[in-house]
Amino acid sequence: MTKFVIRRLLWTIPVLLLVILFTFLMMRQIKGNPFRKTERAVPASIQANLNRKFHLDDPWYVQYADYVKGVFTLDLGPSLVLRNQSVNDIVRSHFPVSLELGAYAFLFAIVVGIPLGMIAALRANKPADYGAMLIANVGFAVPSFLVATLLIYYFAVKWDVGVPTSGWDTWQSKILPSIALGFFPMAYFARLVRGTMLETLQQDYVRTAKAKGLRPQRVVGLHVLRNSLIPVVTAAGPLLGAVITGSFIIETIFAIPGIGRYYVNSVSARDYSVTMGLTILYAVIVIFGNLVVDILYGFLDPRTREART
Amino acid sequence: MRSMRTRTPFALALLVAVAALVAAGCGGGSSSDNNTGSAGSGKLAADQTITLAWGAEPPSLDPGLATDTTSSNVLLNIMDPLVKLDPKTLKPVPNLAESWDVNGANVTFHLRHDGKWTNGQPVTANDFVYSWLRTISPELGADYAYQFFGIKGASDYNSCDPKKSDCNALKAKVGISAPDKYTLKVQLVSPQPWFIQQVAHHSFLAVNRSAVEKWGEKWTQPGHIVTNGPFKLAVWKHDAEIDLAKWNGWRDAKDVKLTRVDGKIITDGTTAVQAFSAGEVDVNTTGIPPADLPRLKTEDTYQNYPALGTYYYGLNVKNVPLGERKALAFAIDRKEIIDNIAQADQVPATGFSPKGIPGFSTIDNTYLEPTADMAKAKELLAKTPNAKKHINLFVNDAPGHKEIAIAIQAAWKKLGIDVTLKQMEWAQFLEFLGPPPNKSVDAYRLGWIGDYVDDINFLELWTCKSGNNNTNYCNPKYDALIAKARATKDNGERQKVYAQAEDMLTGPNGDFPIIPIYWYTYVTQEAPSVKDSFNINLLDQFDLSKVKVVNG
Repeated sequence: MTKFVIRRLLWTIPVLLLVILFTFLMMRQIKGNPFRKTERAVPASIQANLNRKFHLDDPWYVQYADYVKGVFTLDLGPSLVLRNQSVNDIVRSHFPVSLELGAYAFLFAIVVGIPLGMIAALRANKPADYGAMLIANVGFAVPSFLVATLLIYYFAVKWDVGVPTSGWDTWQSKILPSIALGFFPMAYFARLVRGTMLETLQQDYVRTAKAKGLRPQRVVGLHVLRNSLIPVVTAAGPLLGAVITGSFIIETIFAIPGIGRYYVNSVSARDYSVTMGLTILYAVIVIFGNLVVDILYGFLDPRTREART
Repeated sequence: MRSMRTRTPFALALLVAVAALVAAGCGGGSSSDNNTGSAGSGKLAADQTITLAWGAEPPSLDPGLATDTTSSNVLLNIMDPLVKLDPKTLKPVPNLAESWDVNGANVTFHLRHDGKWTNGQPVTANDFVYSWLRTISPELGADYAYQFFGIKGASDYNSCDPKKSDCNALKAKVGISAPDKYTLKVQLVSPQPWFIQQVAHHSFLAVNRSAVEKWGEKWTQPGHIVTNGPFKLAVWKHDAEIDLAKWNGWRDAKDVKLTRVDGKIITDGTTAVQAFSAGEVDVNTTGIPPADLPRLKTEDTYQNYPALGTYYYGLNVKNVPLGERKALAFAIDRKEIIDNIAQADQVPATGFSPKGIPGFSTIDNTYLEPTADMAKAKELLAKTPNAKKHINLFVNDAPGHKEIAIAIQAAWKKLGIDVTLKQMEWAQFLEFLGPPPNKSVDAYRLGWIGDYVDDINFLELWTCKSGNNNTNYCNPKYDALIAKARATKDNGERQKVYAQAEDMLTGPNGDFPIIPIYWYTYVTQEAPSVKDSFNINLLDQFDLSKVKVVNG
């Protein structure tokens, strides 16, 4: 196992180098000038000063080498647009917010989604199932921006239950965005749990357990649930990554100072260093997320461990 | 610049607008009780704190590096400009400079002696010499360095490459000096009657040398920043909050009523509107999405200010002949576009120089009309044998532009002209426009918002060498008029030249490189308690030192 982990960690280095190279080359391919923010033309002397300041007048391979050197010394460079901040500053002040938001959303998804799926499976084709699946299907189909806007409209404006419309400071302000972001994964978990649980309920060992005369709670708690959760754990890893990194829309609607907005806005602003830095950050998250899932999976299902040593 | 583009990708903005419509439909558009009620008797409230929605995270609070409206408004309230502009007449009024002398190309500012930095140092003319040279310097890489190019030697110094030569000789030649502590002398390349007004722009603010040298690029952070205006930067949480607190050490602090401005950074219009109706902000400067305007316009809290800006369509004069350009201009119904699409009470533009610019009344604005004149358009087109029957129209993908383009597409279709809409993301769009524009561009939409209140700032766009002229239009007679205007010191006389120049663009015998659509407005929501004292001027600036909270 240790050998596997070390090998996977070493593999991240060439993967990262490739990610940097591809992002670097792709950013070069799209037209646009990071220093022209409004319709105003940038006079030639000012453009030259800016190119010189940010080393954009160097040949591309020199810029690439400088950048790679920076990445491995954990210096992601200055932002070309937010002139008094470095990419490190941006990551330091905004990534924790996205991480926190993602964690709450994920928690909501698990705490609500799994019981919802269980109820649906245990009361299959009964009103409780229809009710639970209605919620889940709505959550699956309705986009997050609509969920967010409706939550704000009803809870913060119309009924005014004490939650603010936007911001990220008090605990009250964190409720609506966490629910809005967690709504889709919640629905996803509910459907997944329902499906796998229905399948597990028909397994021979469940029939055996029932035949032994175990109480229904024990059958469900011990045998059914444990075995149904394996696919859920497998799905959870990548989903957690997606929740942390994919919160651009929710952050914009709730005016949350997270990092998702920087990723999207830096591309349209041609803020090369921010786009590159955040791509690397996301690459690292995805690589480690997959690594963790692979390790967990090894524990849950020893067969996969055998296959790769 | 707020009204012209937002960073929110179009698709997202559209989705949010749809969602807002749904929400509004469900609730019947009820508004919160917090903001209703009359403007009140004008009695000062005990609590002089307001909350305000800023429209964006300021990319920089360095006067040399700031380029957007939010940065500009934060800076103008925490710093002390030499001059301010009278909100009504737009004439320069003394501020930190108590007076000035203009002698041809030589301008001398006399500074007040009681200006002070928050670190206790006095504000002197040397601060301005240091700050202006810093902004012009090639090392800083300031976007707005060109604001100083009217000063002798500034452009040469800015063009110097420190890698190749020693720039200090050029720096010494820049015409900015301080003969004594409170006298600032500026030598311009030519007499520029608008220079005093131009100095009201945030790029002409002073920075504190000791703070800049101590903290380097991080000098604008709260705790590091040293300011000299009525307010201090109390809190700056990136992308979340900018709070200002009254600074009692300011020279006229006794006249400042507000003790604190709690600012939330809200970029999304729908979110800002909801925060306002929930009573979480007293002033919404983020704006109102067009979908919400019809509903909110009727409320007392809706405010609308004229702006010094023009929304226009440019035409590639190499592709589209003159008669057709005129026909296209006459086919557009400006009033209908404003009433049904833009909806923020913009003013139909019958010329490029915006309403509100000094000398506007001398311009004959009667050739183009707010509404369409289809008969005339068809007549003009019939006389143009080489008219192009197929036009490529380029617009960027920020909210609202496509809808206007579709209306114009329909209007031009009535002339028998097919329009292909090319919608692009902002940075790519600008690459296509040039100048010179890509050959495929026949028509494009753009806006222009003035930096200072003189029509030269608008009309010089259409000179041959202008970097903002994306039309290929180049008429030596027009350039000669602009040169003449530059050389005319008397305001009244100069404005007459501007009227001639405007006539060459959009008058009966005009060249029509552009079609004006509307003049911008700024839209806000303001609680009754601050509604009377909160105002936005033509340049989208607001002066918080004049704001007071009254009991409703």
